[in-house]
Amino acid sequence: MTNSTLPSVADADSCLSEKELEVLRKQFIREGEYVTDQTRFNYAWGLIKSKNRSDQTRGVLLLTDIYREVPDRRRECLFYLAVGHFKLGSYNDARKFNDSLLEFEPSNSQALALRQEIEDRVAKEGLVGMAIVGAVVAVGTIVLTALVKKK
Amino acid sequence: MAESNSETVATLKLLLIGNSGVGKSSLLLQFTEGTFLPQDEVSATIGVDFKVKVIDVEGKKYKLTIWDTAGQERFRTLTSSYYRGAQGVILVYDVSNRDSFDQLQTWFNELNTYCSSKEVVKMIVGNKVDRESARQVSKQEGLEMARKLQTLFVECSAKTKLGVQQAFEELVQQIIDTPSLWKKQAPASVRLQPDANVNQDTAGCLC
Repeated sequence: MTNSTLPSVADADSCLSEKELEVLRKQFIREGEYVTDQTRFNYAWGLIKSKNRSDQTRGVLLLTDIYREVPDRRRECLFYLAVGHFKLGSYNDARKFNDSLLEFEPSNSQALALRQEIEDRVAKEGLVGMAIVGAVVAVGTIVLTALVKKK
Repeated sequence: MAESNSETVATLKLLLIGNSGVGKSSLLLQFTEGTFLPQDEVSATIGVDFKVKVIDVEGKKYKLTIWDTAGQERFRTLTSSYYRGAQGVILVYDVSNRDSFDQLQTWFNELNTYCSSKEVVKMIVGNKVDRESARQVSKQEGLEMARKLQTLFVECSAKTKLGVQQAFEELVQQIIDTPSLWKKQAPASVRLQPDANVNQDTAGCLC
């Protein structure tokens, strides 16, 4: 492959340094109850990009709040909610948010790339799952055959 | 999947910046995939998008990772973290939009604030030259700005493809001619501003 579009997830996977995330967190805390939508969004984005699962979960929760409260921010919230759920392994939720974005913007290339990425991952993990089931069945058959033979 | 990485001499990181709507994503799409989407099929970039292209320069392969940043103000804090490690930055404006040209200085300042290397190759690109009748910025003005900011300069059209390949090739050539930029890996710290929407003075500390 010479010309490839890398998934948007590659971006979310490249996480911020701890210092960078700390800058966003401090701003979020400093603004307290008067925290701006921009600061919340920036922090949520930083959390989603984190490698840490609990950060990712908090990022998703924060984005969910912003999505509900700030109509003007919906498209980016939908996109990063999809990315966040994808990273957490909740592929159905990831699909749901990404599809909502695609409803508004059917040709959004970032969302289309993410959709592909989600489907690929689901297929891959499905195959791994089937392989495991297959292996268990095979081992079971061998054991059973051995047992039967013993009798 | 065949990996062509093994043959590449180096991986270069490029960044596209500039006002919203100047055609950064279209420029990248034309360069990487040779297509152009009509306006009603294009949506504003969310945060940052990313494409890879391997190009051939003097018989050697270079892998370009090109980061396409959102021009909208609301993503400014996010996008500032992508300057780190970039070897080339393209500042895009729209020749039929004076405001996008006037903002170049601001983008240039941002670039200098966040780029880890002073040697990073900069290029100003005037896009949408297919809209000649609506032109608001002359080529001469573009050239003078590039001279003032000491950057490369190309006019192009992501729609007709004119100048697109040339822009990227020229930028890459310049990077290749500056070995200190890519021969050693240069991990450098980045300074992320808490909120770029706030006045610089009140934006809080830089780390």
